Amino acid sequence: MPWSRRQVVAVIPAATLAAALPRGPAIAQDGRKVVTFWFAQANSEGQAALRNDLVEAFNASQDKYRLQLEVKGAAVNNLLKVALVAGNGPDIVQTSGPAYLTAIAKAGQVLPLDEFADKFKWKERFLPALLNTGVYDGKLYALPRDYESMHLFYNKEVFKQNGWKLPTGRAEFEQVADAALAKGIIPFGAGNADWKGVNEWLMTVFFNNVAGPENVRKALSGDMPWTAAPFAEAVELSKAWYRKGYFGKNYFSLTNEQSFLQVVNGKAAMAFNGTWSFGTKSYGMSNPDTVMDVVGIPGLSPAVTSPLAHLACGATLSIAKTSQNAEGAAAVFEFMLSSSFYQNINRDWPGKWALPVKDLSPELLRGIGYPLFEKTITGLHEAFSKGQFGFTTWTFWPNATNSYMTEGIEQVWLNRLSTDDYLNHIQTVFSQEFKEGKVPPLPPRTA
Amino acid sequence: MWLFALPALLINVCIILIPALLTLTMAFFAWDGVGVPAWAGFANFQRMFGDAVFWLALTNNFIWTAIFLTVPICIALVMAAALLMSPRSRAVVQPIIFLPRILAVAVSGRIFQGMIFSPATGLVAWLNERGFSIADPLADPDRSLYAVAAVDIWHWWGFLAVVFLAAMRQISIDQIEAARLDGAGFFALLRHVLVPGIRPTLTLMLILTVIWSFQVFEFIFIVTQGGPAYGSEVLATLAYRHAFFEGDVGQAAAAAGVMSLFGLCATAAYLWLQIRDSANPT
Repeated sequence: MPWSRRQVVAVIPAATLAAALPRGPAIAQDGRKVVTFWFAQANSEGQAALRNDLVEAFNASQDKYRLQLEVKGAAVNNLLKVALVAGNGPDIVQTSGPAYLTAIAKAGQVLPLDEFADKFKWKERFLPALLNTGVYDGKLYALPRDYESMHLFYNKEVFKQNGWKLPTGRAEFEQVADAALAKGIIPFGAGNADWKGVNEWLMTVFFNNVAGPENVRKALSGDMPWTAAPFAEAVELSKAWYRKGYFGKNYFSLTNEQSFLQVVNGKAAMAFNGTWSFGTKSYGMSNPDTVMDVVGIPGLSPAVTSPLAHLACGATLSIAKTSQNAEGAAAVFEFMLSSSFYQNINRDWPGKWALPVKDLSPELLRGIGYPLFEKTITGLHEAFSKGQFGFTTWTFWPNATNSYMTEGIEQVWLNRLSTDDYLNHIQTVFSQEFKEGKVPPLPPRTA
Repeated sequence: MWLFALPALLINVCIILIPALLTLTMAFFAWDGVGVPAWAGFANFQRMFGDAVFWLALTNNFIWTAIFLTVPICIALVMAAALLMSPRSRAVVQPIIFLPRILAVAVSGRIFQGMIFSPATGLVAWLNERGFSIADPLADPDRSLYAVAAVDIWHWWGFLAVVFLAAMRQISIDQIEAARLDGAGFFALLRHVLVPGIRPTLTLMLILTVIWSFQVFEFIFIVTQGGPAYGSEVLATLAYRHAFFEGDVGQAAAAAGVMSLFGLCATAAYLWLQIRDSANPT
């Protein structure tokens, strides 16, 4: 039956009123309250792991809530901001780390988690160094989803065949790199064709392992300018290595995966890459007969005398201010602290969801079946527990500073900008962001 | 009369004019995209004009415009004229030259990046293995903009050719035959009969090219992300980075405002030409 004009006129204000009324939580067909969660990037293996180990396992573990997860891809941060401002975000707000969380938390778009943290004793169950990255003005706004670091991956066979020793400092790195170049082997497999963030991975290494983590912390705290000599030395070394061809001739042409496979295939000797590399199955690093090994990255100046882990949180998890099902979201967080979830997700998608639990018992790692990953996670846990770490750019640099640091370094490497001009610009951008309170919380470290 | 236009006007006001004005307004605010915007006056413009990357991006937009006002237009004109002269080949050639246009931008970008330019998996790698020393142009800040432009031209010129052919088919056959009888060759015919005959279409496409050239984003973002070393940075990629990587919506809006300014100039030029032609019908 067609609607009359009166009906249409009556429906419009009714619909407007209905839209303005407070919403209750969405209810699934089985009567459970729905918890929505937008995830960022996940390859097919990752999506399968999320579906089996998180969504289906959580939904089977209780009968009050139903988790609905959508993989949104790389643009999730942009979508999230718009959705949160419009009041239509998901219940679980996942950001790409503390640098992204800062603006959202300061704008009050996510709920303080302190009540849930007290109820579930989260503060006693997470590593403080990581948990503190979600604390603003004394309130906890996010849980860390994982921890990451940069590592030195290398091909054991290439080293053995050429009689090279694993470098323990700058001079030894340069000796091995020069010897590799002489033999037509690329010293460091690296490529940023698909992800400019590779620049910042490298600069995290240079800033921390040349200038030293204490100086990086001082600079991030506003107590030391980025134009200081240790940072100039770090940038100069990165440029010298790039210009010598240590990162190969095709840095701007190869994807990260292609460049890492060069190391696996023996065309390159080493790679500075991150914990997430363990999750790419094509590298074959979970095989017992893998040619690959991994260690902490040694110091690259007299200021850094031992291998360094770089503290990173690849993603944070919060609850949206407008969530109608905060309890359900907290139940998901509590579920991810279960040992079965930890074991399953790290077995199926290693490196992506290495939850920074305080107590990393051997039982928790049992069943993962990935010795290199287990060794690395155990090492990171120890370093982060003891406060012995550097600071990754993607976790602790404010957004604009990080963006310029990542993009501008290409100009330095390609001789289009001097190191001084580059660092001056970083300092200018950083000063502004520091003044605006955009630097994420910095955990204390011990020498 | 106005009542007929009202629905379209309302839609345009709601989804184009208001968001455009809001975007322009944001250029005068400091806003991270989630918090409360704070009045910033002309600070965003001052910072933008003091930023060397902005001038690089603007220059690249001008270079892009110059390329697209000439290369694809010339190729398309020649191809359209050739197709006009040989009607039998149209059925085969038109779909072929139009094919790149129906491919998704992301697909075209990845094809060129991975299968043509890549020194690991592309034609460049194949040539290098056979003794030719060719570098990936996308990896060279002096050539990356031109390399991406080549990809976009491949994607674009077929569409232009089809549009020009459709316009050329409206030209009186008598005029063409007369020129041929007078001994006009292919290029003389193109220059003295076909191009003047499609002048309104050509003008429209030139003006649209200027507008689109200042909005170019997808190909550059997919293929080079504006790099290396800002070599292929344009205003749209700069604005995108300001908004979504740096959380600086005010700066992004300022850059977007400059993009729109050039689009407005081109639109004004088009309107002026239309009014002039209406006033002096030939």
